[in-house]
Amino acid sequence: MVQIRLQNIGTFSMGDIKMTDKVLKVKNGDTVASVNDLLKELLKSKKVQALLVMQEVPSKAMSFPVLISDPDKLNSNVFAPVLPVSTATIISKITKVESASKPIGVVMRSCQIRALVELVKLNQANIENIVIIGVDCLGTFPVNTYSDFPEKATPTEFILDSFKKKSDVVKYLRSACYTCKDPIPSNADIIIGLYGMDPQKELLIQINSKKGKKLLEGIQLEVSKDTNDREKAIKRIREEKAKNRMEFIKDKSNIKGIDALAKFFDKCVNCHNCMKVCPICYCRECLFESSVFDLEVNKYIGKAEKKGLFKMPSDSLLFHTTRMNHMVVSCVGCGLCEQACPSDIPLMEIIIPIGENVQKEFEYNPGSDIEKKVPMVIYKEDEYQEVGEK
Amino acid sequence: MGKKSDWIGAVAVIGGGITGIQASLDLADMGFKVYIIERTPAIGGIMAQLDKTFPTNDCSMCILSPKLVDCGRHENIEIITNTEVQGIKGKPGNLIVKALKKPRYVDLELCTSCGDCAEVCPISLPNEFDHGLSERKAIYKYYPQAIPNAYVVDKEGDEEHRGCIDCGKCVEVCKAGAINHDEKAENLKINVGAVIFATGAQPFDPIIKREFGYKQFDNVVTSLEFERILSPSGPFMGKIMRPSDQKEPKKIAWVQCVGSRDKSIGNEYCSAMCCMYTAKEAIIAKEHDSNIQPTVFYIDVRSFGKDFDKYIEQAKKEHGIRYVRSRLSEIVENKKSKNLLVRYEDEAGELREETFDLVVLSIGLCTTEAREAFMKKMGLERNEFGFVQANPQDPVTVAQPGVFIAGSFIEPKDIPESVMQASAAASKAAALLRSVRGTLVKEKTYPLEKDVSQQDPRTGVFVCDCGINISGYLDVPNVVKFAQSLDSVVYAEENIYTCSQDTQKKIAEAIKKHDLNRVVVAACTPRTHEPVFKRGLKEAGLNPYLLEMANIREQCSWVHMNEQEKATEKAKRLIAMSVAKARLLQPLSDIEIDVTQKALVIGGGASGMTAALSIADQGFETVLVEREPSLGGKLNNIFYNLEDTDVQKFLTDTREKVQNHELIRIYTNSTVKNIEGYVGNYETVIETPKGEKEFNHGVVIVTVGTEEHMPKAYHYGEDPRVLTQRELEEKLSSTMPEEIQNGETYVMIQCVESRDDDKPYCSRVCCMQALKNAIKLKDLNPRSEVFILYRDMMTYGFKERYYNEAREKGIMFLQYNKDRKPELIMESSMVVKTYEPTMQEVLKIPTHHLVLSTGLKPRSDNEEIAKMLKVPLNADGFFLEAHVKLRPVDFSTEGMFVAGTCHSPKFITESIFQAYAAASRACTLLSQDKYKTEANVSSVNEEMCSGCGFCVSVCPFSAIELGEGKAKVNEALCKGCGSCAGVCPSGAMEQKGFKSDQLYAMIDVYLTEEDKTCLKIKK
Repeated sequence: MVQIRLQNIGTFSMGDIKMTDKVLKVKNGDTVASVNDLLKELLKSKKVQALLVMQEVPSKAMSFPVLISDPDKLNSNVFAPVLPVSTATIISKITKVESASKPIGVVMRSCQIRALVELVKLNQANIENIVIIGVDCLGTFPVNTYSDFPEKATPTEFILDSFKKKSDVVKYLRSACYTCKDPIPSNADIIIGLYGMDPQKELLIQINSKKGKKLLEGIQLEVSKDTNDREKAIKRIREEKAKNRMEFIKDKSNIKGIDALAKFFDKCVNCHNCMKVCPICYCRECLFESSVFDLEVNKYIGKAEKKGLFKMPSDSLLFHTTRMNHMVVSCVGCGLCEQACPSDIPLMEIIIPIGENVQKEFEYNPGSDIEKKVPMVIYKEDEYQEVGEK
Repeated sequence: MGKKSDWIGAVAVIGGGITGIQASLDLADMGFKVYIIERTPAIGGIMAQLDKTFPTNDCSMCILSPKLVDCGRHENIEIITNTEVQGIKGKPGNLIVKALKKPRYVDLELCTSCGDCAEVCPISLPNEFDHGLSERKAIYKYYPQAIPNAYVVDKEGDEEHRGCIDCGKCVEVCKAGAINHDEKAENLKINVGAVIFATGAQPFDPIIKREFGYKQFDNVVTSLEFERILSPSGPFMGKIMRPSDQKEPKKIAWVQCVGSRDKSIGNEYCSAMCCMYTAKEAIIAKEHDSNIQPTVFYIDVRSFGKDFDKYIEQAKKEHGIRYVRSRLSEIVENKKSKNLLVRYEDEAGELREETFDLVVLSIGLCTTEAREAFMKKMGLERNEFGFVQANPQDPVTVAQPGVFIAGSFIEPKDIPESVMQASAAASKAAALLRSVRGTLVKEKTYPLEKDVSQQDPRTGVFVCDCGINISGYLDVPNVVKFAQSLDSVVYAEENIYTCSQDTQKKIAEAIKKHDLNRVVVAACTPRTHEPVFKRGLKEAGLNPYLLEMANIREQCSWVHMNEQEKATEKAKRLIAMSVAKARLLQPLSDIEIDVTQKALVIGGGASGMTAALSIADQGFETVLVEREPSLGGKLNNIFYNLEDTDVQKFLTDTREKVQNHELIRIYTNSTVKNIEGYVGNYETVIETPKGEKEFNHGVVIVTVGTEEHMPKAYHYGEDPRVLTQRELEEKLSSTMPEEIQNGETYVMIQCVESRDDDKPYCSRVCCMQALKNAIKLKDLNPRSEVFILYRDMMTYGFKERYYNEAREKGIMFLQYNKDRKPELIMESSMVVKTYEPTMQEVLKIPTHHLVLSTGLKPRSDNEEIAKMLKVPLNADGFFLEAHVKLRPVDFSTEGMFVAGTCHSPKFITESIFQAYAAASRACTLLSQDKYKTEANVSSVNEEMCSGCGFCVSVCPFSAIELGEGKAKVNEALCKGCGSCAGVCPSGAMEQKGFKSDQLYAMIDVYLTEEDKTCLKIKK
């Protein structure tokens, strides 16, 4: 097990070194309840002071992350195929001022773990005493169709059932999930695995770090016999997602030049929702919400005079390009921006191709390696020598 | 020595090359008046003529120019050019330097360097700065960045060309009235306390090496000429062309050791820098044009310096430069094609021929009759090579008290070592003159600053004609008229030269008359001229940070010479931007920090002791921390050397001096536990056997030394017949001649576990160590057999004489290649098996003893120390200086310095002068009770700061820390580079004087003026 000690942020585990894999037997074919029981046991054991986990709201219309300390109140659904808010952002909020004094368990999807890794590198979260329980992600559905889901089953039942039957759910998936970088939460301390498993029979419980091992001590689990199926399934899903991603990029990356950009964003209402929900965005006050862009009336008129007309509110394109400039290197592809857009601008169509290219340029895979510095802070003398020449 | 009452707090530095410049800057910063006496019309020396510098490939002029400018504007430095020293007399502390100042015919005060004079001058002469590859006028500027930044008249010309004909055309066009053809030579008597000789050495003139065809064939050039060919300011504007037909050469050959290591012409020594600059020239040529195929003909590649080996490897591997170990017999020109046939003997002794388009002779440095005559006149003792005789244990001092030496004047050497010696000489001079420090330095006083906080901006714009440099290409009156129309501008005028003394007065008057509180100067670059105008504002009682400059010369008239209208419009727009920014400028105050005038030296070897003594001799309390029970470090292991100096006596004497110095406190058996603080204000905890001691100080000098590498190969440690050089030395130091039997064989292997992939650097000292032990063995018993198996003999500089001596004494030298290392066979006796490339045979040498040269390695705790001090290490683990060329003893963090082998492996003499240098640099800070730095530092808006730490990572000066989740700027360390402001995603980090609102205002005006104002307002 590799434990990397980082200044001020505690330890973070790397997932690629194997510890003994365990399995959780699913009782009565109820996957959700079985995981809930496991979590309840954790909470009862007092090894965590609280859990941050997805739980259905009373109306059942939505699942939200809740911070639970009372095991009796726990009624979690870690498989609810929806991402209403960023759990990484929540952990940042909880730990920004000071690190947790006792362990807190957080159940997260892979994209959110990636986001958390980035936030740790950006000094915006402290994961000392945060134990990450990652859940294999089958993809999520948009919030706005979630409450009146068109199928007979609930979204959770539907996605678990489709997974078992290997039937296609693409038409319901958010494009972010369709093009997911990696649905396996490799960087978690404990992984609850679905791929290669029969979710009505047993789930994989992979212990990935000392933290994870400590948490599960005393919890009754069986040792997993064969991981071959899982390895194959992981390989398959990663290949599928990579293929989706490549096709998506090929299909969509035709936005070139300022006019095409302007056209792409012309429905923007300047609500800045995309910025507010982004897990990577961390400025305390956004430049675009400050007074910097408040101009004297003459300047507005001047702008109008220049072309005869001037779209208001101003600077929406500058906002989006600045946002892209700030985000894409660390973009983990969670798609929350697109989900938050009231005008249904398909933001992933621009963020994914640009993110992919920029990240490739800097050989940077956001969220994958906590040790690797963000490109912004690395200076290489012989880098981009062609810039400025001729 | 004379009475101290008549001592003079001034130093004459003779020679204005990089050595003289560095010595002058150090002394001036330490509170001494400095006179730089330079023979040519400008300071800069050879470094100014170079294109790039090794091993970083920095542009030579780009790194030199700031130092030139610093000299030019330093209150305590007076540059005296066109002047030759005639004699020195007097006593240390009070010397008279007699010098002959030749007329310049141009008044330095009045000349604004506009160049109008040269435009009209009808006389053309070969340009000596380009080694005659281009032409200049009889009135000329020595080179574009020359300091003093002024023209000069050449009345003499040379043997073939006449100089100035007194036609008077230049006088007519000079609007500044700066030219006076009646100026006469002047005899100067300069009264100083000490003198530093830094006149360098003469580049070898290869004309006497007839076989190489220099001056016979057009396409044989010297390496210095090739530097000019590479240079963008050179004869071909940086395009590589060969002189005969200005065609681009494809095959270029470099011939190493021209005029060096050559008994036939009496230059037996090695010039020490040619191997490296050759690699550099070849790399840069290849970078200019990837079709070029460089070939280097060499004897040994002497890549003994810091990061040199890696550079050579890079040249070979990454740039594909071909190295041919060979001896050249002759170069013959093809009369028709002007190509050159090179005849050489290759490694295997075979004669070969090859044709090249261009041949570069890598010339060394040498002495000349004139140089020797000068030294004789100055009473300086000379060594066998006609260079000044230096003392290895006191390397920058000569017999005459009050006289010091530095740079290639002593021995050929590269830039960083010249710079170190320059600082070392400055340190020596400063220690001598410590009682009169500051006596000749005038602190300038300025009128009280006007309070502008309650006023609306009232801007004055001053537009410069720069003679005709600007007005000849722009419509300046139109520009002035436009400036008058701008918001907040209450006054605008046109000046022939805005930078001239009389315009400065006019600006001051305008500030009063029009109650100006912002000033915009539209002229040339702020890089050279901002200080002039800032001072002007201060003299007029206005805060100097209320100045803004628009560069309408470089950015308008010079680049758009043929487009008057558009260039004029661009100038207007630049001025509009500057005015918009000026409106938002705020008065700023320079930062002043108290300095604790004490020093901490970590490590008490040769460097540490020297540094401590030097600082204490300058009057500052010093604490010396040594981890071992006694001082001396590696000196304890050195028993004899080839220079025949008594190292052990030196150690005893120095240790005694340190122990008895009233200003030095020594902690042995002690380590530094913790250091907090910043330049001028460090708080240190020292762990001593008697408990923890606290010490507050202003500077830190790191001299922690190195470790000896203990080899694993060749059965070392298993067989008593296998020794390291150090062990052999220790043994031989007490061996009697009779103990060595006739015919006893010693095989020495160089570069053992060194200069390979694991330790990719040369340890510099091992070749000499082997030579001294080999010679010692031969001296003990001439019938003993000694073989030295080497890769490249690194006997650079005058050390070459010992290489020659060893060969004469019958020591056998066998070369081997990196990929075919010697092997040891343990049979009944030891046999060393090695492949000899000249004979192309494997030799088997039975031997009684095997001696390994294993080199030095960084101390294992360097990393810990580096972390504590927040200073960097290089890839090999040695401490990394701020700049390998020009700041060789400074760390990039202000207040921290490095010397000795912890910087890179080196000899005692080199450690000593580097330690003096570190002391000198440290004393530039310690000699003042306040540390001053400019006001345009960064500041954090804590409300907006998210504490992401990007700024901390990018700050090159370690000036930012995170505290309580916010960035905090240490203003003492901040240099105002603005990297932090650039990287901050939140806009929380701002640089004073370059704040976002100021920059946005400029952009805004640029964009609005684009379609509106500029093109509408016409005459």
